[in-house]
Amino acid sequence: MFLELKNITKTFGKTVANDNISFGLNKGEILALIGENGAGKSTISKILYGLNKPDSGEIFLDGKKLKIHSVLDAIDHGIGMVQQHFMLFESYTVAENIVYGKEPKKNGFFDRKRAAEIVRELGDEYGLHIDPDLKVEDCSVGMRQRIEILKVLYQNADIIIFDEPTAVLVPQEIEELLKTIKDLAKRGKSIIIITHKLQEVMDVADRTVVLRQGKFVGERLISETDIKELSYLMVGRGIPPREVEKKEPGKLVLDVEDLRYKHEGVSILNGLSINVHEGEIVGIAGVSGNGQTELIQCLTGLLKPDSGKVELCGEDISGKSVREIRDLGCAHIPEDRYEFGCARKADLEETSIMGYEHLPEFSSKGLLNEKHNQEFALNLLDKYSVKYDHMGEPAGALSGGNIQKLIVAREIEHNSKFLIAAEPTRGVDIGAQEFIHDRLMDKRNRGDGVLLISSELSEVMSLSDRIYVIYDGQIRGEFTRAEADTNKVGFLMMGGQNGQD
Amino acid sequence: MDKIKTYLKRFGAIMAQPVIATILGLLVGAVFIIASDENPIEIYQTMFSRSFLSPYYLSQTLTRATPIIICGIATAAAWRAGYINIGVEGQMITGSFAATLAAIYIPLPGPLLLIVSILLGMLAGSIYASIVSVLNMKFGSSIVICTLMLNYVANYIASYLVSYPFMDPYGDGISLVTQTIPESVQFVKLSTTNNLSIGIIIAAIVVIAFYFMERKTVFGYESKMTGFNPNFAKYGGVFERKVMLKTLALSGAIAALAGICEIYGSKYRYTDNMFTSASFAWTGLMAALISNLHPIGIFFTSIFLSGLQVGGQAIQRTSSIPIQMATVIQSSITLFVSAKLGVQFFSKWRKQKKQEPAKPQESKGGAETV
Repeated sequence: MFLELKNITKTFGKTVANDNISFGLNKGEILALIGENGAGKSTISKILYGLNKPDSGEIFLDGKKLKIHSVLDAIDHGIGMVQQHFMLFESYTVAENIVYGKEPKKNGFFDRKRAAEIVRELGDEYGLHIDPDLKVEDCSVGMRQRIEILKVLYQNADIIIFDEPTAVLVPQEIEELLKTIKDLAKRGKSIIIITHKLQEVMDVADRTVVLRQGKFVGERLISETDIKELSYLMVGRGIPPREVEKKEPGKLVLDVEDLRYKHEGVSILNGLSINVHEGEIVGIAGVSGNGQTELIQCLTGLLKPDSGKVELCGEDISGKSVREIRDLGCAHIPEDRYEFGCARKADLEETSIMGYEHLPEFSSKGLLNEKHNQEFALNLLDKYSVKYDHMGEPAGALSGGNIQKLIVAREIEHNSKFLIAAEPTRGVDIGAQEFIHDRLMDKRNRGDGVLLISSELSEVMSLSDRIYVIYDGQIRGEFTRAEADTNKVGFLMMGGQNGQD
Repeated sequence: MDKIKTYLKRFGAIMAQPVIATILGLLVGAVFIIASDENPIEIYQTMFSRSFLSPYYLSQTLTRATPIIICGIATAAAWRAGYINIGVEGQMITGSFAATLAAIYIPLPGPLLLIVSILLGMLAGSIYASIVSVLNMKFGSSIVICTLMLNYVANYIASYLVSYPFMDPYGDGISLVTQTIPESVQFVKLSTTNNLSIGIIIAAIVVIAFYFMERKTVFGYESKMTGFNPNFAKYGGVFERKVMLKTLALSGAIAALAGICEIYGSKYRYTDNMFTSASFAWTGLMAALISNLHPIGIFFTSIFLSGLQVGGQAIQRTSSIPIQMATVIQSSITLFVSAKLGVQFFSKWRKQKKQEPAKPQESKGGAETV
């Protein structure tokens, strides 16, 4: 074994993030560290990279015991990490970012020319070509990741940790990244890739270590396992494939035509048109930041569009207030649960009745109907199996998955004709994910319209009856469930035009 | 029974911090008392016997507490919705001055005049507070700064009015005063020896009404959510501007009532600087902060703080300790209460420090916690 972790334990307060975990990494091997959210993958990688200190346990490199106190120690020992959220200086060039911290010097001054050369040489060596003089702010997400990889290579890392590297990429970029990772391994680099996407594990890894709730649950050679077994190990139970009930779409619920919105002179929505029918889940696929947030806010009344038609159940809602739109039949699972979906200090009952409080069963003559509201909240918590301590508990004390379930419960139980579900499963574990997906399906099967907006392409593909691809505030393509295919959708997500490849 | 138990438990949890802070505050006071060569136990004994333990002083304390309680509620009414109103003093001056003038100059029969003048005063207070809402909506002006500055505006305008147009030429000759309000509107007294009036009962009613409003009404719910997370409220359909208008107007009306209780209940006329020099509004603000905006907590904390001030006067008369000792203790308590934030911050910081023994390289600095 090249790198070995022995009996690593790490606790944060009462939570045990890593419970006595041991595994090893061979030279030139690609090891996938898999597990659900909160399984402890990130913690263990942060321990390796010097960002967290273990409570107990040892790390060996080439048989020698390692003491990693800081990131600098880790880099000294040849351990590098490509983080999920890139840490780059936007207004600096590619080369400047890559050599940062270990700059080539000439007469004591920064040697910019040499830096650019270094980047070119590295790029040639590993097949990661990028223009060293480009400003980072002009680089796409995929390019930024390449910069991060080059930076790690420049620091002479032998062990490279990738933390959820594909989370931000579109399918074509993912394919390229996986190729790069394989290539690096061939050149003798040892790789740890942290992910919960099992297809990628099967595509790229040699071996995989599975964590569940902070514990080591198993280790498999990829050649001797399959997705089914891995997902069973990860979740602790089998997940049956989804069966989609056939359903003819009914009347038009949402009709948006030529929607335009500008913010401080920058056009964000450029003539966007979509529609949703009864009994239909319509997905919007797209890399985040292409106008999804503004679209949601224009539909829900949080923003006023500059122009365009927005009709909900046949009524024009542009210019109407949030409350009026809600009352007309638009429920909304927000993109960011802590920014819009709840207040951390509000208790569970207060969280449950938001948006209902003015309705006759919930209050009369300005007085809250406490008995009813408490029963209502209890019913939501119960029906959506939210884990909680007591009703007076603040929403912020619930785990992310549980608070998300409560928000989903609240919005779905509105029994509205139309539901906007934005990133409904972001950051929740597989169990909760399945549960939420099932509830969205139920909603559709009851004959309501659902607009699903997610940056997780697999989520959009598996749930939607129809898919729009959004790019730069416009719809670039529309697919039915049968037509949709990851490559075609991914191509449009990156800004490709229909009809040319 | 169980319900009461859990309620008491929760109330205890809320009040634990202020009680600890109070004990610490008294200890700080003790240090200064020892430094001035006096026995802190004796001093505190005098202080508490001359503020709470004898009926005469207790009624003195309650008289002083009346406007402080109401000011505390006025503060809490705005703060809980996230609108930091520190202009309770200005709203109190405007409202009570208007009520006083109405009581003096409007020719109406007694009981009707009482009600009309109080309502007019509260209206004036809420209009004065609403100026801030309008400024905020039209120009995005800061609520904190506007409310603070309008305190001075109110006090100086009242100063002018009481110096010239409405000055009582037959006043006491020491300070500038308006005429005395008619006897028919003066509050009924509860004590024969001093000024304790039904004002304290009004204060208690305000506390209960506020408590009820906060928990049981749609407006209470919506403004509370706005205070917790304005985006959450907006997302749920709460119209934020309406909440702000209503909240500040309510806060101003309650503030006005505080001043009205002081004038109708014990002073019977407006005296120049009467509210600024007694700093009712600021003591009320401290009471609100110490008790974490909890109305019942505000009620008792206000009585405690005014007891300190009344007792402080007593020890000034009998020992070498000046009345400022009361202010020292009061401020220490407030500091210790706000220190809770500091302590939380400190322990978080230490935890982080433990996890990252050395400073991580800058470009990788954004470590997330699990």
